[in-house]
Amino acid sequence: MTATELQVDVGTELPTLVMRLTRETLVRYAGASGDFNPIHYSDFHARALGLPGVIGHGMLTMGLALRAVTDWAGDPARVRSAFVRFTRPIPVPDDDSGAELIVKGTVTKLDDGIATVQLDARHGEDKVLGMATAEVDIS
Amino acid sequence: MISDSHAGRSYPPTEPYEVTRAKIAEFAAALGDDNPAYRGENPIAPPTFAAVIAGEAWQALWEDDELGLALHRIVHGDQRITHHRPLRAGDTVTATLTIDKVRVRGAVDMINSSVTLTTPPGEVVCTAASTFLHNREEQA
Repeated sequence: MTATELQVDVGTELPTLVMRLTRETLVRYAGASGDFNPIHYSDFHARALGLPGVIGHGMLTMGLALRAVTDWAGDPARVRSAFVRFTRPIPVPDDDSGAELIVKGTVTKLDDGIATVQLDARHGEDKVLGMATAEVDIS
Repeated sequence: MISDSHAGRSYPPTEPYEVTRAKIAEFAAALGDDNPAYRGENPIAPPTFAAVIAGEAWQALWEDDELGLALHRIVHGDQRITHHRPLRAGDTVTATLTIDKVRVRGAVDMINSSVTLTTPPGEVVCTAASTFLHNREEQA
């Protein structure tokens, strides 16, 4: 991959990423990840565990949130580490519109060629990830 | 029951996992991600692909009868993924899980675990550290 330098400062904002999760998204992710927990595709099983209905996989939310970082950084190999706390699940209804996920990112630190990006991932008013950060090699 | 006495426990490495172009493409498609780095002759894997392999090592926790964990009462609390380099198509890695710390808060066990992904020559490619929250009681 090209090693072009990213122009980055503390305060640099990443392009906002708006995504939509439908039941198809969850089924695809279940197959691709091997996570076949039925709360991610079956309302029956989700309700049996006290959930209102099917919810998205936490790791899917993390993967989608990091797309905001890799889209911006270009080469995903620049991502050295990432952390998220799973604060709220994303309910995904069985319809055409599904659930919207909006991810914003801001560079909060630059240190020795590594930029720390703080991510804000929301479904409606709900902040679905807490303390979400990625460390990106910008050298 | 799981307790702090289990901190430090490691499990045998998983069977070797071969990272393939097809699986990387499938995983990237599941994220709706058309980044060219995930396609072509020598693709790398998206950062969270590591959790697909780490997930195989998590099984050891659920299957360890001594810990008494019920999978349907487990919640994924947080996740850290640290890459020394990206996973690439053609890599073969094993996943080794260690219980780092266990805290009990009322009916909830907080389990810190880490999985290292290692190539046969012993190169650590990635570490995936997770907190799992286990509720000892059924939800009302």
